[in-house]
Amino acid sequence: MTTTEPVTDDAREAAPGAVARLVHSPSVRLIARRLVAAVPIVLGVSILTFIVLSLIPGDAAQLLLGPEATPEQIAAMHRQMGLDQPPVQRYLGWLGGALTGDLGNSLVSGQPVTGELGSRLAVTGELVGLAFVLSLGLAIPVALLAAYKPNRLFDRVSMLVSITGLAVANYVIALLLVLVFAVQFAFFPAIGFVPIGQGIGENLRSMLLPAVSIAFPLFCFYTRFLRGDLVDQLRGEDYIVTARAKGIGPGQVLLRHAFRNSSFGLLTVVGLNLGTLIGATVIIEQIFALPGIGQLLLQAINTRDFVVVQACVVVFAVVAVLANLVTDLLYAVLDPRIRYGNR
Amino acid sequence: MSIEEVSELASPAPVYGGAEPLLEVSDLRVRFDAKGRRVNAVNGLSYHVHAGRMLAIIGESGSGKSVSSRALMGLLPPTARISGSARFLGTDLLSLSEREMRRHRGADLAMVFQDPTRSLNPTMRIGTQITEAVRAHGDVDKRAAFDRAMELLQLVRLPAPERRFYEYPHQLSGGMRQRVMIAIALAADPKLLIADEATTALDVTTQAQVMELLLELQERLGTAIIMISHDLGLAASYAHDVIVMYAGRAVEYAPASTLFSHVRMPYTRALLGAIPRLERTPHSLLPVTPGQPPDLTALPPGCPFAPRCSRAQDDCHAEPPPFAEHEPGHWWACWHPCEVGGPAEEGGR
Repeated sequence: MTTTEPVTDDAREAAPGAVARLVHSPSVRLIARRLVAAVPIVLGVSILTFIVLSLIPGDAAQLLLGPEATPEQIAAMHRQMGLDQPPVQRYLGWLGGALTGDLGNSLVSGQPVTGELGSRLAVTGELVGLAFVLSLGLAIPVALLAAYKPNRLFDRVSMLVSITGLAVANYVIALLLVLVFAVQFAFFPAIGFVPIGQGIGENLRSMLLPAVSIAFPLFCFYTRFLRGDLVDQLRGEDYIVTARAKGIGPGQVLLRHAFRNSSFGLLTVVGLNLGTLIGATVIIEQIFALPGIGQLLLQAINTRDFVVVQACVVVFAVVAVLANLVTDLLYAVLDPRIRYGNR
Repeated sequence: MSIEEVSELASPAPVYGGAEPLLEVSDLRVRFDAKGRRVNAVNGLSYHVHAGRMLAIIGESGSGKSVSSRALMGLLPPTARISGSARFLGTDLLSLSEREMRRHRGADLAMVFQDPTRSLNPTMRIGTQITEAVRAHGDVDKRAAFDRAMELLQLVRLPAPERRFYEYPHQLSGGMRQRVMIAIALAADPKLLIADEATTALDVTTQAQVMELLLELQERLGTAIIMISHDLGLAASYAHDVIVMYAGRAVEYAPASTLFSHVRMPYTRALLGAIPRLERTPHSLLPVTPGQPPDLTALPPGCPFAPRCSRAQDDCHAEPPPFAEHEPGHWWACWHPCEVGGPAEEGGR
């Protein structure tokens, strides 16, 4: 009779290869599940956009050829653009291309949309990233300082600034910034974009004013939100009393205990913002003449360049889905209750 | 009679034995002023705790038992107005600044709270929460703090401490969490441990285990314990001395054995009568003390329990009875105390 080693749970967990471990990892499963769920969302958005674009009046061929164009010329142009085909066939054609990474050619310029989107996304991505770094980088210390001594001078002043900032639209801030820093003092260019290739300093100089315009309302919102959450934690939570009962100082109670727990609320808000913020860039890119995706979208709508509009909207949808996914993953990384929850 | 006049009746704190008490609370008053309302949570509370003893403070919700102990720890919100004195190791805790108080908190006097689920930081490892308490007082390096945390986890008999050290609170059961809370409280070898309803959120078996643990630790470490509870039965089983509080004052104070065999204050008797007992007729209704706990924003001029008391007479409504030592070691505040050996149900109306 052969005796077999009893296989313990530990042994079984240690045995399998890298692939099996990857498949069983909760975060990999979460990513897979969410990516699968994202497919119908992006598909739905693309169909809806296609329907809306087919319904709105206006015609790229008409706009391109001008008011003097004859019906024959327009019909020929339609054939050239592929607009003479029935909508379902056009959509399926577009979808087939999109799945292979080809989002079609612009009706107006004839250039491939995919390449254009790539360079534009880089600009918008830099703008949004910079705005997040600025707003969070300032909001967190300000909120911590305000919550350290609630209702004292610093708290009151920061709340006043936040409320004011929330009441002012970002394009108004943009125009004020241009007026002061570009026109009066000429520290920064009023419009235009310098690619990173021409020097990071010059690039940041051209990006700073637009980024600040987007960041300021965000900063105000995050400051208010985080300060409120911190004060709630400090006043209402039992674990704060435990921490204080240990005899540790108020700074440590704030940073190690309250902030750690408040950061989850902040993370949720930032994640939600990330998805919608890309829309806010449309106006700001227009004001500062930044060659971002928002500017591209606006131009495409004006010229009824359906192919480009469609591509932009799908990109926005993908970004929103990915932003939510990243937020959920960050939660799983940061919050032990979720990390160990579904075992 | 106003609150200020009542204060003149402030009684000297009872003393047992000859030794200097570890903690001597006298005429402790706490009130909260908020939005034009004044809540008188504690109204002239005095007591002593000796090293190695367990004092139970018993009372229903709003009797001031929790507020009074948090006042000692300096853990009340800034809106609290505190007066009186609490001499602990030669210093008056109530006169200390927040910074000075911090040196005592978690070092000489520590506290275990009611709900271990909410009292531990959900996002921090068990071990970190203990080492934080260890390192809060004294210059302890990481390695030494880890060793001390292990020692504490073994002291509170948490199974598999090496593994638990790296776990989060939600991975532990309620009883284990409360053991962790006790480990945190014992981190700096406190002389006085305040257990604020420390077993209320636990089931009966776990409750008994945690109480046994506290008793055992008390014997080994000589820690004085103030046990705050609404559970008279628990106090009878574990505490040396018992204070019964009502409307922010002490109404009866005696060694546990004396108190339960010679109840004098009708309120205590009513509380005792409300405990279910095996010898009671099955399915019979428990006696209920009629009325509501007193409104702490508008206390009556006389004895605060008088409106609910079956023995109350005219003088009870006119003037509050002094809290005095009527028999050796047995203090009460009542104009018409119960006869010794009377029926347990007599207290309520």
